[in-house]
Amino acid sequence: MFEGVNTPLITIRAGKTMRVISMDKIQSKKLLNHYSAWKYVVLIVTIIVMLFSALPTWYGEDAAVQVGAKAGLNLTPIELRDKLKAQGVEVKRIEVKHAQHGNANSSEDGQTLIVLNDDSEQTLVKTLVSSMVSEPKELTLALVSAAPSWLQNMGFEPIKLGLDLRGGVQFLLDVDVQPVYQAQADALVESLRQFLREQQIRGASVRIDNTRDDAGLQIAIALTDASASDNNARAAIRQFIQQSYPTWQLTNGDNGLVVKLAQDEQIKLRNLTVQQNLQIMRSRIEELGITEALVQRQGEHRIRIELPGVQDPAAAKNVIGATASLAFFEVKESGSVNAQVLKDKSGNPVYVARTPVLGGDHIVDARANIGEMGMAEVNIHLDRIGGQKMSEFSRANIGKPMATSYSEYSRDEQGKAKQTQQIISVATIQSQLGDRFRITGAGTYQEAQQLALLLRAGSMTAPVTIVEERTIGPTLGAENIENGFAALGLGMGITLLFMALWYRRLGWVANVALISNMVILFGLLALIPGAVLTLPGIAGLVLTVGMAVDTNVLIFERIKDKLKEGRSFALAIDTGFDSAFSTIFDANFTTMITAVVLYSIGNGPIQGFALTLGLGLLTSMFTGIFASRALINLVYGRDARRHVRV
Amino acid sequence: MKNINLTKWRYISSAISIFLMLASLTIIGVKGFNWGLDFTGGVVTEVQLDKRITTSELQPLLNAAYQQEVTVISASEPGRWVLRYADTAQSNVDIAQTLVPLGEVQVLNTSIVGPQVGKELAEQGGLALLVAMLAILGYLSYRFEWRLASGALFALVHDVIFVLAFFALTQMEFNLTVLAAVLAILGYSLNDSIIIADRIRELLIAKPKLAIQEINNQAIVATFSRTMVTSGTTLMTVGALWIMGGGPLEGFSIAMFIGILTGTFSSISVGTSLPEFLGLAPEHYQVKPISDTP
Repeated sequence: MFEGVNTPLITIRAGKTMRVISMDKIQSKKLLNHYSAWKYVVLIVTIIVMLFSALPTWYGEDAAVQVGAKAGLNLTPIELRDKLKAQGVEVKRIEVKHAQHGNANSSEDGQTLIVLNDDSEQTLVKTLVSSMVSEPKELTLALVSAAPSWLQNMGFEPIKLGLDLRGGVQFLLDVDVQPVYQAQADALVESLRQFLREQQIRGASVRIDNTRDDAGLQIAIALTDASASDNNARAAIRQFIQQSYPTWQLTNGDNGLVVKLAQDEQIKLRNLTVQQNLQIMRSRIEELGITEALVQRQGEHRIRIELPGVQDPAAAKNVIGATASLAFFEVKESGSVNAQVLKDKSGNPVYVARTPVLGGDHIVDARANIGEMGMAEVNIHLDRIGGQKMSEFSRANIGKPMATSYSEYSRDEQGKAKQTQQIISVATIQSQLGDRFRITGAGTYQEAQQLALLLRAGSMTAPVTIVEERTIGPTLGAENIENGFAALGLGMGITLLFMALWYRRLGWVANVALISNMVILFGLLALIPGAVLTLPGIAGLVLTVGMAVDTNVLIFERIKDKLKEGRSFALAIDTGFDSAFSTIFDANFTTMITAVVLYSIGNGPIQGFALTLGLGLLTSMFTGIFASRALINLVYGRDARRHVRV
Repeated sequence: MKNINLTKWRYISSAISIFLMLASLTIIGVKGFNWGLDFTGGVVTEVQLDKRITTSELQPLLNAAYQQEVTVISASEPGRWVLRYADTAQSNVDIAQTLVPLGEVQVLNTSIVGPQVGKELAEQGGLALLVAMLAILGYLSYRFEWRLASGALFALVHDVIFVLAFFALTQMEFNLTVLAAVLAILGYSLNDSIIIADRIRELLIAKPKLAIQEINNQAIVATFSRTMVTSGTTLMTVGALWIMGGGPLEGFSIAMFIGILTGTFSSISVGTSLPEFLGLAPEHYQVKPISDTP
């Protein structure tokens, strides 16, 4: 047998020409160049479905402002239109959604959607409408499909555009997990010290060993006193840690014991922290009122935020970037040893307990108000556990002061996270506090409002800093789309023309295949969840046009070869397709490898490129081999002429 | 006679390829790359100003505001400038405010990349290149006899080095999109090599008595028109991208354009000559007779 060739071939020398007949053809296929009817059905159905899926992209999207049902809009759509028109804003349409009978979708009930003619007026309209409603928070910026409703009702949506095409702001956040480990270690050290005191183990000192950065946090217990109790002390400590802190690993150190956080526990803590921050970011972004916003995890400890349509990064940055947390401390006497010193707003030192009574993560809600005395105050609502802790603490400390500290994390020039902690208020506990209480003295009403917003969005237990920020202006985004599609149009036009002229007889088949390739590719991009079209993605589309015809070129050249060898047109088509297949597969496979590598390693725009490149290769195989064969079979399948020029 | 000339031509072009490759490596070594923001970290801002404003007006204003040397590059359109500077404590200055003396300012885009992120991206990019290379190597050695595979691989390395050298020589910005182009070249420029290698393999099986030089020449002649057409169509579309795609895709299209050109050239020159040099012979594709006695 001849190995290394895809289909087993029999070579028969017949006169001067060499006949190559595929063996399985002789056995199974009586009809040459025949596709059964179901293959045509599959082909036509695929193209039609993909065409419908691709169509909404053609219409694009319109900018809109969404007014929630709870916003309290007391205007009819006509009044609203006239009011906006008076301000010089042309509205395309205003939709009021009502819950359908038997299908009470409460979130959409009574929602008003203002679809605009001019995308750049979105922010303006939001400002205008916010003065007409009682709850401006219920307004969100949105994008709606501009396709006719019958197309939308079929469930087809336009391709999602990346930020580089749409304009907007993108942030990459880094979650610093180290402080979380530190907090865990602090808690352990605290209780270890207490345990040693209770057990009256003397000559033992506990400290956090931060010197070995790579090994992570570890706690060193030095047992300097070599008394007889040493061994007993070791056993006691060992038992205590195993029972109370099973996630810590105990080993023997140089002169004592070393406790380390277990590896899987570190990973678990990191995952939890990033998850928590993701959740916090989502709720913070919700406050910005952008429906299309994307918040997702990237890598081990990064969070990627994309805010399409946002033109001013500063506002978004204030909400995202300021990572504040609140903690309540017991105030100690000044000069006290067992205390930490924090500064208040005017720089005076305040002595507070080392560990807070309560962390900000127990805060459920926080709102700014103007109090009875005309002073700004923040009303805080705690969760059940927080309420209990606060209740216990305040009962024992009525008449004593309690300090509220406000920490903010930022990144210094070396890129290291640093924490600035400040006492924002020291208030005397007037009565036993429950799960609802208020802080006064947070500054002006604006400052109180800002603080309340940060607190409401949740507490930050790990510092989050912005490590990457990209802003793409809306005009640049539109320009990118224009350029990209102009290039696609030009590339496509040249290719169609060239194929039609070069392979006159078969050229139109390649062209039909190329056009259906594009239709399927666009349809797939719209259908695949999470697929985003970026500027490099458009470059990938243009490249696909050039590569897709390669498949046809390889087949047509093989057919030419076979015709030169003296075969009939029909037979040349059959053998041409068969012999070109392995080359086509090889060529596409290597490009596929790079597309997969790019997709898995790259991010954002580059992933868009890898996606269109990879999908384009698949669809070009489908249309270049399957669809063009189907067409050729229909038209030239029975052509027994020889010496045909293609 | 024609074929003998072709052999000679093939050898000459291979020599040229190897010479160019050495020259390219030298250029890369000497000049290095103008790494883009994606890899170095820093701040890049694109602004639209009045068309009459020149660099000499812009530069001192920016240098004073940011307290560092701000790189000012003229962008694709008149009045459009790309400003690049390091991300320091002083760089937190509102650009629109700074440029107020020059009239109306429109900030088109801003990118800030932290140094850590840039470093990671560079590492990931290198890793991507390596992984893709290894995967292709694995596939080639599975698909072809090692001598043929090494020819294709050498041609591939040649193409990538040539594109890299172009970016080193012109000091055009080497950013993430260009890296994507280099990876795409990695996959695509192999196509021509594969088409020829496939044909060489077929000829080795069909005509085992022919000299290897003759087989290579025949394979090149037989595949020449399709190589030209496949590369040509892709070159045309990449050319369209170059002309119409605008500034952000310029580096990408240039890299692809050069990659496809050298890809075609190298597949004919070193791609066929190296296997010959390594002693590729018809018996490597003949089935070994299975001996009856174990």
